[in-house]
Amino acid sequence: MGPDEATRAACRTITQVLRADLRFEGLFQFVPDSLLDAIPPLNADAPRFEDWKGIGARILVVTRAEVKGGELSVEVRVYFVDSGQTMLARRYSGRPDNPRLFAHQASDDIMTLTQYKGVARTRLAFTSDRDATKEVRSKELYIVDYDGFNPRRVTVNNSLNILPNWSPDGTSLAYVSYRQGSPLIYLAKVLEGRSVANLTGEKGDSQAFAPAFSPDGKRLAFASNRSGNMDVWVAGADGSGARRLTTTPASDTAPCWSPTGQEIGFTSNRTGTPQLWIMDSEGLNVRRLTNVGNYNDGCAWNPSKQYSEIAYTARLESGGFDIAIIDLATRQVRQITQGRGSCEYPAWAPNGRHLVFACNRGGRWEITISDREGRTLQTLATGPGNNVQPDWGP
Amino acid sequence: MQRHRLSPRRAFLAALGAAVLLAGCGHKRPPVLTATPGQPAPAPAEHLDRAPARPVDEGPDVRAVGGEGATSADLAGRTGSGEGGPLADVHFAYDSSALSDEARATLEKHAVWLQSHRNVKVTIEGNCDDRGTVDYNLALSEQRARAAYDYLVSLGVAAARLRTVSYGKERPLDPGNTEEAWARNRRDHFTVSP
Repeated sequence: MGPDEATRAACRTITQVLRADLRFEGLFQFVPDSLLDAIPPLNADAPRFEDWKGIGARILVVTRAEVKGGELSVEVRVYFVDSGQTMLARRYSGRPDNPRLFAHQASDDIMTLTQYKGVARTRLAFTSDRDATKEVRSKELYIVDYDGFNPRRVTVNNSLNILPNWSPDGTSLAYVSYRQGSPLIYLAKVLEGRSVANLTGEKGDSQAFAPAFSPDGKRLAFASNRSGNMDVWVAGADGSGARRLTTTPASDTAPCWSPTGQEIGFTSNRTGTPQLWIMDSEGLNVRRLTNVGNYNDGCAWNPSKQYSEIAYTARLESGGFDIAIIDLATRQVRQITQGRGSCEYPAWAPNGRHLVFACNRGGRWEITISDREGRTLQTLATGPGNNVQPDWGP
Repeated sequence: MQRHRLSPRRAFLAALGAAVLLAGCGHKRPPVLTATPGQPAPAPAEHLDRAPARPVDEGPDVRAVGGEGATSADLAGRTGSGEGGPLADVHFAYDSSALSDEARATLEKHAVWLQSHRNVKVTIEGNCDDRGTVDYNLALSEQRARAAYDYLVSLGVAAARLRTVSYGKERPLDPGNTEEAWARNRRDHFTVSP
């Protein structure tokens, strides 16, 4: 008797998703399916490694799944074809309603064999107008899996909710909401389903924007006009003890943290045009970063200490915007997007190997992902509406 | 002589060239686990810690993230920011928060009107067209609202009657992509409340 339909469906999904996950990581090549016909079918209990060697495979990943008694069990084995050695053997079990999660978990486990942390279980947060109506032109926050699947709505207040930023532990989103009239920073505890209003304690009609958690999650950088104009401030993660870091009469905004938490990048128009600047996290040692172009904004510091670089949004001569990355050692700039309409608002994957941003192509903003070289760009199908301001969570 | 052996991790990296991913889908018999002698046994069943990780939109509590059921009616009054109202919009040049002569003249009329309507308060809403970036437009619209605020205060309007809100490019009046639409969206809008 063959496996039942539930088992077959789960197994198909897991194979497909695991393949997509590993392909996305960009470290593996897959033996073309056409070559598989040349060898006898897999004996999952005792693979004939010489067959696989013959078609050029170095690694064999065998997955098996079964749905039984309301539970999905999955086994994943990773073999070295050359030696026949088992590199990894894992068994997972859980509720069968989302087999994709099993594949994501398996992909991340397989990635532990490399020097990089996998991203298959990570999530994106973003802003969308998909639930707006003609009367209520709202923007709400949503979360999706890193591959665009499984969208979930976070805010439900019919106001403007923008600029989501993940806490490094993945339990919370800091964001800006207009639900009390003025733009203020809120904290959504996404697993508990509650929020903290006016996290930074703005008073009167002062406003706060651009929340950014430090890499250790203990501090929050943000922009506020409480001192009379827009400046970059830093507070504790609970909003307490805010300190002003910039003091010019210009607009200083959009802070981003270095991976050590010792420096902060930001946008300032103190020279007349918006440019990226860097200071240490005490507000000292301020220096200009970008010198090319007359409009640079939205810094995103690569969180991996392996890469010393900052992604940002740059305006080109055509008037559109593109994503660029500046190497902090050489100051060389490489352009990541080209000819995709206008792209802006980059954020890094936690391992620093991919970028997410929003592009407007054909009149609709969509979440787009690129590797850090800009070689593979893909638009994520995250759902209807204009989808903007992505942040990549753990 | 001792033979040099690759560590498993190094060996794995060396083998990244080609991988085959196969599944036991449609296998002739139900998948069974067999631990082949000499190979590590599969790890004990792991319950996925983040599997069905309590979706944020499940349950009435959770839907309340970020809002306790503000009605659309109460928001329409607060953020309706359309056209009309007793105080006309003030417009700006591209990427600028400088008040033009025309803008100053409009604000002078607003100051006069506010002198004769002493019990009203005004919210100055700064806006941008969508040809800039998110963050910088929020800063630019803050400067635009503040420019009007400062000028009205200089004309004798009590600061306590004024407040500013920066909308950046988040709530354009005209969603079009024409010079005309952009020009309409680069504005301070004034909403009046008792």
